[in-house]
Amino acid sequence: MKRLVLIPFLALFVAAACGGKKPPVPVAPPPFLNASAPGGGSDTVTSRPPDPPPVPRDSVVASRPLSDPYSGKDVKDINDNSPLKAIYFLYDSDQLDDTAKKVLASNADVLKQYATWVVTVEGHCDERGTAEYNLALGDRRALAVRNYMLTLGVGAERLRTVSYGKEFPFDPGHDETAWSHNRRAHFMLTSK
Amino acid sequence: MMKARIALTIFLGALALTTASRPDGVVHAARLAADTQQDEFALALSNVSTHPHIGLPNFVLSGGGADQGTAATTIADVLWGDINFEREYDMIPRARSASIPVAPPAALPFDQWSDLGADFVLTGAARFTSATAVTIELRLIGIKGAARGKEYFAMQYDCGLQTARGSRDCAHAIADDFHKQKRNLDGVARTKLAFSSNRDALRVTGRPTSTAGQGKEIYLSDYDGANQLRFTVNRSLNINPSWSPSGSALAYTSYTTGFPDIYVANLAEPGRALARPAHGNEEVQNQLPAWSPDGSKLAFMSNRSGNNDIWIVNRDGTDLHNLTNTPSANDGAPTWSPDGGKLAFTSDRTGSNQLYVVTAAGTGLQRLPINQKIDRPTWSRLNFIAFTIETSSGHDIAIYDFNNPGVKILTDGVGSNESPAIAPNGRHIAFVTTRWGRKQLAIIDRTGQNIQKITEVGDNEHPTWQPFATK
Repeated sequence: MKRLVLIPFLALFVAAACGGKKPPVPVAPPPFLNASAPGGGSDTVTSRPPDPPPVPRDSVVASRPLSDPYSGKDVKDINDNSPLKAIYFLYDSDQLDDTAKKVLASNADVLKQYATWVVTVEGHCDERGTAEYNLALGDRRALAVRNYMLTLGVGAERLRTVSYGKEFPFDPGHDETAWSHNRRAHFMLTSK
Repeated sequence: MMKARIALTIFLGALALTTASRPDGVVHAARLAADTQQDEFALALSNVSTHPHIGLPNFVLSGGGADQGTAATTIADVLWGDINFEREYDMIPRARSASIPVAPPAALPFDQWSDLGADFVLTGAARFTSATAVTIELRLIGIKGAARGKEYFAMQYDCGLQTARGSRDCAHAIADDFHKQKRNLDGVARTKLAFSSNRDALRVTGRPTSTAGQGKEIYLSDYDGANQLRFTVNRSLNINPSWSPSGSALAYTSYTTGFPDIYVANLAEPGRALARPAHGNEEVQNQLPAWSPDGSKLAFMSNRSGNNDIWIVNRDGTDLHNLTNTPSANDGAPTWSPDGGKLAFTSDRTGSNQLYVVTAAGTGLQRLPINQKIDRPTWSRLNFIAFTIETSSGHDIAIYDFNNPGVKILTDGVGSNESPAIAPNGRHIAFVTTRWGRKQLAIIDRTGQNIQKITEVGDNEHPTWQPFATK
């Protein structure tokens, strides 16, 4: 008797748990939003239909946008064309300028959207300083980025740091263009 | 002369019994004559205004074929290089003396050698007792004036030549023995270098293609750059090797886990698991290992307290403790004093990287009076520190001598010069230079003379010089 009652619930649970590749509770957006121009629509909306009923929390396995570009990709694929952008430093500096802070805010948004991602912030240096000093400078750069990301609400357990000093240049050149590319904090997705 | 001939005959008799199983490259040395004229040679040396000029012709050959002839030429070439390297003698380039007929000591063309400016000639007779065993009788013969025809050195060396490196090792052993006997000098011909190189251009595993992602492995070579071979094979970054005082182990930094930690590899047992005495992980990262002179401890840079400080740990991973603790500054690049009682390191606590000395107990901190930025101090057992110094043109190699306090810049401002490693006899310094384009290892004398290129391929960095093997 008991067993018969349980079966439909189990079936539902299994269906929800196995639906990892698809949103388990598809909710169509309101039609008028689709009709308006991207980015310009929301200001002109003065009325809207009632919100759909709240989704029961225990039936949600994971939520992500329908057009999630990263769902089918592995870590290396994502790192090859990452939504997490590098930031750049002045010579012998670990200071974050306004451009860097904007990029980090964008990176923080990405990390909030993909709440399971764990990243390693790599500190890199150009070739002009000495090798040993640059190991410490790279550390300072990575830590400066990590500390700023913490203030933006990204969890500490999701941000590792590592210094590569000048050992691992992105640009093998020996001019200011190459140097400016190599004075960076680079985000590497470690796990998703 | 008669005595020498008798002694030689005795040695020849003994030789026939002992050459059968001679290990590769290993030399057995025996004095050929007890009455070499050491005093007169010393007198000759002290009487010349410059170092004595020595010629080193090809050896007189017996036994063996073309391959053995090539091996004998290699031994002579390498021996010339080894003796030239220590700058005790003004060695006449072998190409300049190539036209002088090769002859046994008694028949040397004395006038031709004299015309070439030779004060002495180092003559050798190479007798192959098998394809892979040679006995070399080496004699130093006076050329000029009263010294003409006199013998100032006479030794017999038995060498095994089983592999390609046997000839070079044979020459290195002879050179070290020659320097020890004639000058009481510890030559470094048998020592090796370890360094980091990207020459194989292996991409580091898992790196995106948008990055250069080129790995670096640890390589070993003879002191003169010969016999370069790869030591690590892990497609990661392997940097800053440090040779243990006994010469039997290498400590280095590897990023194989994705984060830098210090690894200790036993050179005698390459298959043995690597030790990680500094206990690194994703959070705790360790760099720049430096052995204490007794080999029992490693000092290194670690960020485990939130920023980079100097830490010390026993080789077996016990007794981990910090030597420095400066939350607002980076301390790095430690090196031990010859007696192990002190360490030198860099710190930017005053705003720029300066050189500090502190006792191993962490007391008595003092800054050495060098006002330019410095890096990578390396403390010689001869009580001077070599380091990288920032100059108007970039970086150069400099030394600070405790016996005669002051800074002496050795390199000439050509290219960038950094990361010095001191030869165990204190007479030479290996370093990294961009003077020829890519980063290459070079060696310069402690006097600032005689820059010699050691590597050719890829970028080569972070040299460490093998100490003399402890008995």
